[in-house]
Amino acid sequence: MGNGADVSHRFHLLYLGWWMKVLKTTNQKIALFLIVLSIVYLILSFRLPPFAYVPVDSDVVPISLGFLLLFLSVLLFFKKDRESEEGQSNRAIPKQEILILVAVLLFILLYIFLLERVGFILVTTCFIFVCSWFLGYKKWVINAVVSVLTPILIYYLFTSFLQIELPQGVLPI
Amino acid sequence: MEALEGLLTGFQIAFSFHGILFVLIGVVVGTLIGMIPGLGPITAIAVMIPVIYGMDPTLALLMMAGVYYGAAYGGAASSILLNAPGVSEAVATTFDGYPMAQQGKAGKALAIAAISSFVGGTVGVILLTFFAPTLAKVAVSFGPPEYFMLMLMGLTAISSLSEGSTIRALISATVGFMFATIGIDAQTGTPRFTFDSPHLTEGIDFLVVALGLFALAEVCSLILNRKERLTDQKNIGSLHLTKKELHEMKGPMGRQSILGFLIGVLPGAGGTIASFLGYLTEKRIAKNSDEFGKGSVKGVAAPETANNGSSTGAFVPLLSLGIPGSGTTAVMLGALIVLGIQPGPMLYQQHPDVFWGVIASMYIGNIFLLILNLPLIPYISKILKIPRPLLISLVIVFCIIGVYGISFNTFDLYLLLGFGVLGYLMRLVSFPAAPFILAFILGGMMEQSLRQSLTISNGSLMIFATRPVALTILILSILSLLFPYFQNRWQKRNRIRQGL
Repeated sequence: MGNGADVSHRFHLLYLGWWMKVLKTTNQKIALFLIVLSIVYLILSFRLPPFAYVPVDSDVVPISLGFLLLFLSVLLFFKKDRESEEGQSNRAIPKQEILILVAVLLFILLYIFLLERVGFILVTTCFIFVCSWFLGYKKWVINAVVSVLTPILIYYLFTSFLQIELPQGVLPI
Repeated sequence: MEALEGLLTGFQIAFSFHGILFVLIGVVVGTLIGMIPGLGPITAIAVMIPVIYGMDPTLALLMMAGVYYGAAYGGAASSILLNAPGVSEAVATTFDGYPMAQQGKAGKALAIAAISSFVGGTVGVILLTFFAPTLAKVAVSFGPPEYFMLMLMGLTAISSLSEGSTIRALISATVGFMFATIGIDAQTGTPRFTFDSPHLTEGIDFLVVALGLFALAEVCSLILNRKERLTDQKNIGSLHLTKKELHEMKGPMGRQSILGFLIGVLPGAGGTIASFLGYLTEKRIAKNSDEFGKGSVKGVAAPETANNGSSTGAFVPLLSLGIPGSGTTAVMLGALIVLGIQPGPMLYQQHPDVFWGVIASMYIGNIFLLILNLPLIPYISKILKIPRPLLISLVIVFCIIGVYGISFNTFDLYLLLGFGVLGYLMRLVSFPAAPFILAFILGGMMEQSLRQSLTISNGSLMIFATRPVALTILILSILSLLFPYFQNRWQKRNRIRQGL
């Protein structure tokens, strides 16, 4: 083996060490969260009211699940593994993109909040138009046509074909 | 011969005007949704659930089955044309499908995919015709302990076979099961984890979980990748295949349809494993294996055949045992329960018309798919040209309508959003979603069969050790959990041997 191979070998080890260091902490963070979750779940399970007339009460399965999760989380805490590279690259998201995700989340929240108050057709039209425009679709004529036609079509299909009532809201239909 | 007789009754149902119509609707919708990057069979089935609400159960089942295998067909298009596999089942198709498209032979690749999907699906249905009733007859003798163990094996198998670490997958499954315990306990009437909310007393609807974890989580990925320049094929080229190419496809199609089917029957293993394994085995035994990865005909035929064979194979445990072995069939089971159909040996005995109707419809559906796909693929694949931002908004709207259309309250919509966020976070930290949804859907049934078993045995867990079938399945489940450990050691030893 030449010197070159030796160096690359050492580099490889360093690289591995770096991976493990980063990942150990993420594994541990998730494990800690899951341990807390399983303890909360266990407390709630133990506090379930007993029912006298069955051999296996309603708390048996939840308690077993709680302990199982606790056990698995402890295993995860001590696990040193190399995570798939995909998972790593997935996590490296630029801040601006996170803001965009949060914004879309808020749009959806607003959509749900207004759905029954304002009505399906109006809210959906606004949502499709604003959301598509926000995500970078600038052809506003096509956008407007799609935004207006899709909800009307869906509303018609659902109410007359499937007999599923969608919120009518303020529109007099 | 009983199978043939049954099949004949099945064809009478499937060949009715309504039967043909709904199969056709099912396969078209399935193909369309399956083609959209990121949306696979799970989303396709889930968004169709409000549509089948209140429909005739047999016809609805015919249609849903069509959606299911139609989506398996459709996945190939975005792999070949955009190099953007929609779901993991379609990843192996990109290896040779995209190089072919780059050489201007996209049409050929799509034709190969359609033909091999047809062969995989059809051979799968033929095997299903004989496998499913046999298994159903065996399963009649199964009691709650056997059922509990079968479901447990499904969960351990999907956990050990899913990508990434087994512990992560098991945690996913456990948390999924925990969500299934929310609501009023059926046996004692005790409200569990409902926090006095009237919305939670009946538990969380599986549709909310499925659309959140799969479709909405995928929307997040779509948003992040919305600017990705997709190299689009302007000219698809001819769909015509030469005799030599057809001849080349024969071997892979013959082998992989059977192999794919068998993998599909196994719990936990599904289209992803079948398609990768199909690709790798064909590459290994091919004389011209260096052509693989550069646009080989076999490289497209093998994973597509295997994927469709396995998606049909997955119907065996679903129909004859009533136990799904994958995330997709779990959502399918949820859809069946919405229809009031409880699959399993009882379905085979008491409603043979439904049982055989579905199987018969799958023969017809596969033929439809071939006829539709071959000439129409260039036109259908136009759906891939929908601008990403518009597609994202529409998918979100469809998810919301899907949930609202069966629950009619906004509480479930907030839950849907919550599961979407959860699903995306799970992706970020590499926790697989399939064990979660499988455990969530099986949870109620598992708890019921566990408690029935323990009632039979007066609370003794020995019931699982004294019944031979239950014990065998238990041992198999434990073995399936140890499998990744040995696989790891074996790989490590190999790595050391190779000097890494």
